[in-house]
Amino acid sequence: MVEVVRRKNGIEPHAPVMLRLLYSSEFVSFIDVSVQRKQEMSKRSEVLTGDQMASSLIHKAIYEADNPFDLSLREAFQLLEPQLRPPFPLTIREEPEYFTLNRAILYGILTETHLAKVHIKHLHGIVIDGYCFFTSLLCKVVDELYSKLVENVKVQLVYVTSEMIDVSATGVDSLLVALLRQIRGGDFSEANLWLCSEMVNLFRGKWECLLEEQPLVLSSALYVFLRVLSDHCRVSLNSKLEILKQNEIKFCIRVFRDQFHLCLKIGRDLIRLLQDLVHVPEFQDIWKDLLLVPASFKTPGFSDVSQLYQSRTCSRYFLLRITPEMEIHLRFLLTQVKLGSQTRYQLWFGRKYLNAPEKETVVIDIVRFICCAHHPSNDIIHSNVIPRWAVIGWLLKCCTKNHIEANVKLVLFYDWLFFKEGVDNIMNIEPAILLMVNSLPKYIHMTHNLLEFLFLVVDHYDIDRKDLILIGVSSALDVLKRKGVVESFDVLTSCDMLSPFLKEKLVKLLS
Amino acid sequence: MQKCLKEMMPAARNNINTQFIVLEKGRTTLEGGQNKTCLGLVADESASVHFQFWNEECEAFHPGDIVRLCNGIFSYNRNNHLVLRAGKRGNLDKVGEFTMLFVESPNMSEISWIPDPNNSAIYIQHSLISPCSRIFPPML
Repeated sequence: MVEVVRRKNGIEPHAPVMLRLLYSSEFVSFIDVSVQRKQEMSKRSEVLTGDQMASSLIHKAIYEADNPFDLSLREAFQLLEPQLRPPFPLTIREEPEYFTLNRAILYGILTETHLAKVHIKHLHGIVIDGYCFFTSLLCKVVDELYSKLVENVKVQLVYVTSEMIDVSATGVDSLLVALLRQIRGGDFSEANLWLCSEMVNLFRGKWECLLEEQPLVLSSALYVFLRVLSDHCRVSLNSKLEILKQNEIKFCIRVFRDQFHLCLKIGRDLIRLLQDLVHVPEFQDIWKDLLLVPASFKTPGFSDVSQLYQSRTCSRYFLLRITPEMEIHLRFLLTQVKLGSQTRYQLWFGRKYLNAPEKETVVIDIVRFICCAHHPSNDIIHSNVIPRWAVIGWLLKCCTKNHIEANVKLVLFYDWLFFKEGVDNIMNIEPAILLMVNSLPKYIHMTHNLLEFLFLVVDHYDIDRKDLILIGVSSALDVLKRKGVVESFDVLTSCDMLSPFLKEKLVKLLS
Repeated sequence: MQKCLKEMMPAARNNINTQFIVLEKGRTTLEGGQNKTCLGLVADESASVHFQFWNEECEAFHPGDIVRLCNGIFSYNRNNHLVLRAGKRGNLDKVGEFTMLFVESPNMSEISWIPDPNNSAIYIQHSLISPCSRIFPPML
């Protein structure tokens, strides 16, 4: 209708005269009310994008540009604020107004702590999509804004997540995964431990509901808490953190004892994580049963730990231990940066993510991510972009502690140990061989160190299942050559600088 | 309109709108006893240039930051050093981190410029003083 009026009068849209006419009484009766509201919206948002409207959601540093997503939530809230107070109309909203209202309510829940319950009630009243759009907004808040969020907003975020579990919202599994990804490995800051604590309490508190609706997310949580426990069990903690550690242990043990089938979902990396907890009494019992009494888990079909070894861990588990921001940076490095131009990026990456000795454990997660969750296309492989093995070589050199370096080497070779064509992916085992081959002759020490480590784990990783591991490593070597990742192993077996002992062992494996 | 760094030429006009990544920052010093300044190396996919940070800007930006410059100026500073800066009328905003490609050569501050014989209002490139920054050499 408005367009018709405009055209008839030959008036340009948005001309001031038109706006005046819009609000004059004789025109209002002609105009569709929703169109009028849209006009008001656009008029208001122009006013509201000014400097006076600061974000209550995020801490914004001086000189930091506005975050477009934060801005969109804030604008929706300002626009619809009068409608966010009871009594709420019973009208069914249509898109795009429905989306704007979702944004407005979310901003209300996160920033108006005292009114959060009212906003949630409102949300329950207006929802027509099973909370799908609402949880997608929440995921975006977590993925894009989490580290910048004001402390109170983080509290609200956990609260609203718990509400979303209660109503079995569509997408609540993704939301929980997004939150789990924000738990940082090797980070003992109060904020990180707070998130660990909130999440473990959430998983324990909502156990029944999650088990029924989203059992797979319990496997994800198990993976995360086993991994952070290796941090939390390494240092002596104060009493508050001792409680956190105990809660994490209780959660993990409950999954093992009550829902072992969810442990099996993780695959071989479950054993890798469990190995770092072998000194924790509660997990010693799990170990004993895994190795000696597998039937005690009462899971049909599970009869030996080798079944876990032979099951490849899905890449989504590795993503769980990398924050979205770190993932973006790593993928940029591995798809855009040319070999030879990487030094500054490596320096910045190190400064941001590895700038304290305790943070070093995250290198283990990063290398596992690079091997198993970042598989470059053929175009990238044949370009001059920095290859995965070179980045892993750099990360290995970043390790200052022996036990971390050993763990990094283990994750690099982990899929070699149980390799089975058809089940396993050649891309997971490719970086290790290329790092060994390409380090020759200049970085012979690297090749030597890796090869020595490989033979060490073949002999000692699981003495009772050494044959299985020997078959795995032989198949890995075989497929690497057959698929042309390396033309031959002569470069290793005939290398003068490598110790005869290592060469002999390699020849034996190859035969 | 956004410009890439390579298209800049020295001028006493604050009309440079561009985006770059901060590669390095030097030490912050006091200029005239009051104002802090800090020289840095910034770059985009076409070139690098020396950037002069001013007062609060000196602490606000770090290597790896992706920065948007509005109404900046590329001209000689008090030490007769050719630098890009926000100036009084310009604006700097951090818009991201890490995910930007760059080259270090040519460095627009390491070019000697002379007035255009045909049009004294503009400068043209005379010679290359150094392919890369002599203050912040490339990292290998």
